[in-house]
Amino acid sequence: MSLKKALCVLAGLLLVSGFVFASGGSESSSGPKVLHVAHFYDPMNASMKVNSDWFNGIAAQFEKANPGVKVQWDVYQWDQIDVKSMSDFRSGIKAHDVFLSSPQLSAQHAQVGDLADLAPTIASQWSKDELAQFSWSAAWKGGIVGNKQYGIALGNHTRVLVYNKDLFKAAGLDPERPPQTLDELVDYAKKLTTGDVYGLGMYFGPSRATIELYYSPFLWGAGTDTWDPVTKKAIFANATGVKAANFFKDLVNTWKVTPVADEAGTYDDAILNAFVNGKVAMAWGYGSYWIPALEQHGMVKGAFPPTADATEINAGVALLPGCPTFVNSWDVSIYSLSQNKELAWKFINLMLQPENLRGYGDAGLPIRASEWNGPGMQTPFYKLWKQSIATGHPMPSTAHYGELADTVAAALQSILVSNQDPQATLQKAQDDWNAKYAGN
Amino acid sequence: MPSTRGIEKAPAGTFETIVGKRSLPYIFLGPALALILFLLVAPVVQGVFMSFLATRGNGAVDWVGLDNYRILFRESRFASNLRSSLFYLAGNLVLSAPLAYAAAALITGKHRQAEYFRGIFLLPWITAPIVSTLLFRALVDPQIGPLGILISRLSGRQVLILGHPVWALVFVTVHSFWRSFPFVMLFLSAGMSMIPREVYESAMVDGAGRWKRFTRLTLPLTSNQLAIALLQITVWTLYDAETIYAFTNGGPGYATETLAVRLFKSAFINFDLNTSAVIGIILISLSIVFMAVYMRLVGSGGGDAQ
Repeated sequence: MSLKKALCVLAGLLLVSGFVFASGGSESSSGPKVLHVAHFYDPMNASMKVNSDWFNGIAAQFEKANPGVKVQWDVYQWDQIDVKSMSDFRSGIKAHDVFLSSPQLSAQHAQVGDLADLAPTIASQWSKDELAQFSWSAAWKGGIVGNKQYGIALGNHTRVLVYNKDLFKAAGLDPERPPQTLDELVDYAKKLTTGDVYGLGMYFGPSRATIELYYSPFLWGAGTDTWDPVTKKAIFANATGVKAANFFKDLVNTWKVTPVADEAGTYDDAILNAFVNGKVAMAWGYGSYWIPALEQHGMVKGAFPPTADATEINAGVALLPGCPTFVNSWDVSIYSLSQNKELAWKFINLMLQPENLRGYGDAGLPIRASEWNGPGMQTPFYKLWKQSIATGHPMPSTAHYGELADTVAAALQSILVSNQDPQATLQKAQDDWNAKYAGN
Repeated sequence: MPSTRGIEKAPAGTFETIVGKRSLPYIFLGPALALILFLLVAPVVQGVFMSFLATRGNGAVDWVGLDNYRILFRESRFASNLRSSLFYLAGNLVLSAPLAYAAAALITGKHRQAEYFRGIFLLPWITAPIVSTLLFRALVDPQIGPLGILISRLSGRQVLILGHPVWALVFVTVHSFWRSFPFVMLFLSAGMSMIPREVYESAMVDGAGRWKRFTRLTLPLTSNQLAIALLQITVWTLYDAETIYAFTNGGPGYATETLAVRLFKSAFINFDLNTSAVIGIILISLSIVFMAVYMRLVGSGGGDAQ
């Protein structure tokens, strides 16, 4: 190809791209108004199709009710969507309107300022009854920082103690009477540990789940926490924290009722797979997202989807007294730089309609209180899950939650695996964290 | 016929006479130098600058001088990160060099199997890091992994290699060595194939045994290749975060959390760019130290058989 021809091709390409760019730019000014909704359900991923279809359904309803408005998806990874929102805000990008967000990061969002405060809108547009539909749940509280509301929970994800009734019977324990205290939990676990079966499955791997499933609940039960919202300092090395670490250490190393394997591997393996495959008689930290697995393995019947005839075949559920559970959800938020806040709020309201929320697969257990009045939710099985949500906790609202959770998880692993002194290890980890993050 | 002198002298009015002969090379080199400065030096300068700042969540930035360094150096976690990094690096180098020499001797030998060995030894190099990580993970799975089961049977108890602070670090180091030694082997085999056969024949005539031939001939004559390969491996190992993260997330505790893993977590999970910048500067400084050592190795006697 001669130089002249090559230059002609290049000029042609430049013209075409210039035209495309110009027509793209004019879309927002003369074409339909676009509402950008950021979620993490990749339509090309088969496992996410149900949720992606749900969003498409909401968009279709919205576009029908709002002619001249088009909903456009911005799809990100679930564990990057919050960071994306924050970094876009810092860069002044005004491309988004509605964001799915994680309540554990609400405080970080609050500090960054990328999410709009929904409290005034909720106060002016929702009735008291409508508010009560949501505010009963601990997941709702996760979206609140100070007196500002950065996210609205779309469902509930909570965790309970599940136990194998057949193994209870085999060990001479009453299958209708789960442990009532932590001492009883240990006693039961000892009786249930036989051969290849461990009494109590827990997850102590290198992940944030450790603090969320066990350490924080232990502290909440004693009226304390991992972080003090007044002094804005980490306080996880307090006396209760040390007691908790010693308790976990004893479960694994002294009483040997919790498998050592729970210190490595994954949360799914340590809790879900171990329980449904009968490797552990009790599993602490069993999530509501795994209720379908109980049904699939024949451990409960008619519980998923919920029916009035739900029966616990050989799986029972229980709450550990003195250990409120961690409750979270996926929240929906409005991007603070959105140019379409009113439309965004309309879209959120549409998502939150009972008939719509019912179809959102990733919601977990219902957030709307009225949904718990249905016959399928009146069984003892679901009443316990509801109690867990109502009495549960969100994680502390520090802007450095990630670092806090990682620090506690690493300290706990050092205590369990390397047999380090709990008091000294926790104190050192707490000092390190406070040296960097205390006060903000 | 024009004189040679006439050719050398640029005619009046040309670019050279306008800018002057001395400035000409700088003018030609200028754009390239500016690009290099912009692409290579500017990010480092920016990194150094960031390491002296504290960025608040709301975007406010404070100048904190050396505070970020001070806080990091006082942490027990940082000491553990540094120890793990050095162990990871040393283990890699100590295992790579001797085995790469042995493998290079095997693939440069005049025998039929050399080709097969070449293919086998290159396999780790062409395997994607995340794939090899998954394969190695499966190997030590306490339930289904052959190595995990074997160790458990031999010791009579369940041994969690990735759940043990020392074994986990050893295991990720072995995996890293497995991946990197073919690279060293390739470099060394290139160096070894350039050594004239006569040199070895003369040495044999003089009565030099295998060991002496290796230490007096092969080693010095391939020291340039060795230094370059080790420098490359050093840099890769120091900055390797993905495989360790996929293996252990840096756990148990902080046992396998190297500086690179810490940097990755800090920058991309917790979004703490200032701490990441400090760790980045430390990693660059370490690389420079190793580079100086290797360059010295290349400069001093490299390539001289004694």
